[in-house]
Amino acid sequence: MGIIGGALFTLLTLMVGAALTFFLERTLTPAVGAAQSLKLSKDLQLAHADRWMYPAGPVSALFGVTVAAAVLPFGPSLIGADLGIGAFYFIVVVDFVVLGVALGGWGAGTRDAVEGFYRITAQLVSYVVPLGLAYVGALMMAASLSTTQIVQAQRDVWFIVLQPLGFILYLVTGLMQAYRAPFYEPFSEHLGGGMLSVIGDWKALALRIAMAGLLFVVSAMGAVLYLGGWLGPWLPPPVWMLLKTFALMALMLWLGRRFQPLSTAQMLSLAWRILIPTGLLNVLIVGGLILAGVGPQ
Amino acid sequence: MLLNLYSAVALAALLIFGLALLAAAVWRPYVKKLNLPAAWKQYRFGFPTFALIFLAFDMEMIFMYPWAVVFRSIGLEAFLDMLVFIAILLAGLAYAWKMGGLEWE
Repeated sequence: MGIIGGALFTLLTLMVGAALTFFLERTLTPAVGAAQSLKLSKDLQLAHADRWMYPAGPVSALFGVTVAAAVLPFGPSLIGADLGIGAFYFIVVVDFVVLGVALGGWGAGTRDAVEGFYRITAQLVSYVVPLGLAYVGALMMAASLSTTQIVQAQRDVWFIVLQPLGFILYLVTGLMQAYRAPFYEPFSEHLGGGMLSVIGDWKALALRIAMAGLLFVVSAMGAVLYLGGWLGPWLPPPVWMLLKTFALMALMLWLGRRFQPLSTAQMLSLAWRILIPTGLLNVLIVGGLILAGVGPQ
Repeated sequence: MLLNLYSAVALAALLIFGLALLAAAVWRPYVKKLNLPAAWKQYRFGFPTFALIFLAFDMEMIFMYPWAVVFRSIGLEAFLDMLVFIAILLAGLAYAWKMGGLEWE
């Protein structure tokens, strides 16, 4: 696709995805946590804000989702940059959102924002390992880290059929990674919205796009790993990819609403006592399946 | 080829930085002063043991990605190798759990 085409396609993916996510989320969920409305029309002046760290937060978060959108495939060659280490790269760059909220929260210098900084670090500690384990199952079957190869490996059967446990793990950890209900403690109402309530004007816009884009890239990666990405009959590939992404997103948002919001302590406990042993079990099951000759050859 | 791919990523990042700068230059809404107390106080940092175990497990994840990619071509041997690796880590997790490490302090 070339350098310029790839870059423009990445931006197009992010903007269209974030806009659709924004409207879907507004119709499906109450405006709490990462989905709460931000103060776009006024600039907030904080007495103790750091001059550079405070605006660096939203920019870092926006950077993270943009470069993550580069490896989302919408067709066999319709992808921003088909990196050989796509899935691993994706996990790494999405964490720039955590860095952004941490930087912005610390830089804002208010009590709630700094508390949000600690909470989001705790959230990172709880989701990274089970999320990685949810990826590893799909990677073992695809025998590649490239996102297009992962989709090609699902030509005969989607990985959701072969490893339902991994898919459930991805649903839970994906919600944690996207800070949607019930895992929105860093932006919860008893922190007064955390960092999101002390940010205004263009910084709020950047953070708004980053938060909507985050849910979009997380759902799109779920569609790539477990739902066969762009594969499907009759309709053109990009339509299938978008359909699967937003179906998965709707499922995640709907599931998330059915549970009480978890505190950071409960979330850490859930991740380390249940999700990580489940993830390791899933890796063993998938390994056994591959040795038994199941899956793409 | 590889350089081209990463150049596309870098160009996308540059474009988004440019858009953010543009928004910062153009968007000048009215300024509202917030008088909130300074952040210097004690916080409850309740997850030190989680953070320590996390380091060990995060390193394990780094080893797992290349292992997952070559798993099919190596087969049973790779499976048994990882079984030992996971067993050692699970023993560590069980130990931390039993010692009360998986608690919010």
